[in-house]
Amino acid sequence: MAYTTFNRQINDQMKEPMFFGNPVNVSRYDQQKYGIFEKLIEKQLSFFWRPEEVDVSKDRIDYQNLPDHEKHIFISNLKYQTLLDSVQGRSPNVAFLPIVSLPELETWIETWAFSETIHSRSYTHIVRNISAEPHKVFDDIMLNEKILERADDVTRYYDDLIDGINLYQRCGEGTHTINGETLSISLYELKRRLYLCVMSVNVLEAIRFYVSFACSFAFAERELMEGNAKIIRLIARDEALHLTGTQHMLNIMAAGEDDADMAKIAKECEEEAYAIFRKAAEQEKDWAQYLFKDGSMIGLNKDILCQYVEYITNSRMQAIGMKAIFSTTQNPIPWINTWLVSDNVQVAPQEAEISSYLVGQIDNEVDGGDFGDFDL
Amino acid sequence: MPSVKLSNGVVINFDGSAQTLLEALERKKLEVNFHCREGYCGACRCKLVSGEVNYINEPLAFVRKGEFLPCCSVPVTDIEIEIP
Ligand code: FES
Ligand SMILES: [Fe+2]
Ligand SMILES: [Fe+2]
Repeated sequence: MAYTTFNRQINDQMKEPMFFGNPVNVSRYDQQKYGIFEKLIEKQLSFFWRPEEVDVSKDRIDYQNLPDHEKHIFISNLKYQTLLDSVQGRSPNVAFLPIVSLPELETWIETWAFSETIHSRSYTHIVRNISAEPHKVFDDIMLNEKILERADDVTRYYDDLIDGINLYQRCGEGTHTINGETLSISLYELKRRLYLCVMSVNVLEAIRFYVSFACSFAFAERELMEGNAKIIRLIARDEALHLTGTQHMLNIMAAGEDDADMAKIAKECEEEAYAIFRKAAEQEKDWAQYLFKDGSMIGLNKDILCQYVEYITNSRMQAIGMKAIFSTTQNPIPWINTWLVSDNVQVAPQEAEISSYLVGQIDNEVDGGDFGDFDL
Repeated sequence: MPSVKLSNGVVINFDGSAQTLLEALERKKLEVNFHCREGYCGACRCKLVSGEVNYINEPLAFVRKGEFLPCCSVPVTDIEIEIP
């Protein structure tokens, strides 16, 4: 089953499964097996934003005045998010595009990954502004053990899937000797890797950003780093949509109508799915500990953040029909919700200005004095 | 005027002063989780034990059987719900 960029096989796309059917030939949307993916595409496009449109210049002064332990919290979160979006900006494309069989899903994957590249670019926008030496921040990502630990779990399932696809598309099912190494692959095993990969991405989108989001919004509640918070709001809005995307994929897989194997695999992998959620939650709690190792910030401490991780982990698990694994039932930081509201609905007073930059205006503050020499 | 019954026995009348079920619940100081308030994140998911709701905008979030999204829906009949 070699991959081809334009499959000549004339097929009925409506009868293809999401993955591992015929590669997509014509990108057509006049007929859709799963209309939800086109709706996600439209929504994502309506969210389009550019980091440069958000004025972060005031954050520079705020940042300089932060105590060292809060600088550590702020910058460490940015580094971690940079890692996550580096992975997410490329991996859905590399892993899923060679095996996808539906045009609307293919285009959703591309649209999703593209929006992650905007997130990556926004971190550079933020870091450039607050630091005269942005390279030091980015260079540290590849050296920071706390971040690398997480990178391993974030990428493992992608890499296993990609590796399997390469072998399968080159050699087909069976046992093969390549460069003296004996490797075997079956389609069923590949589907298993796919399921676990989508589950792991689902967990990434569902949980891994939220410690960081909470810290950004806690700064902004004190009217600090507000430019950053505006960007984080836009990122959070995108991530919520990505999560909806992976939840739909998992649901379609588990239902089995699309591909009976996938339903079987979903059952077989149940324990592993629990383990993926649990491990991610534990890692995020460790991360909270690392962030606050030299001191907490106003409104947030390690315990509150850990409870929040447990709370959203439970709710994300229940969303896909799993059981809650933590006893926490209350959101310890309900104020965060106001920051996560889509900006079409204005709730937070801080949000008065948020739609302006979306239409391309630059929200700089202008003094009356700036117009001193201006005659009409 | 449809009524909304909660699992703890509280009954709310949906009298049209709130635009969505989420708003109606919030006015009664009930804590419901939410993020987007627009039907695409799924954070507000609640159980629909009985009755029927209508979506103001078709939600993008994945809704499991027996669940509904209060942020973008209104009751069409008397309903019984459970907030997680
Ligand atoms: S708050 Fe997002 S779907 Fe209801
Ligand atoms: Fe992202
Ligand atoms: Fe994402």
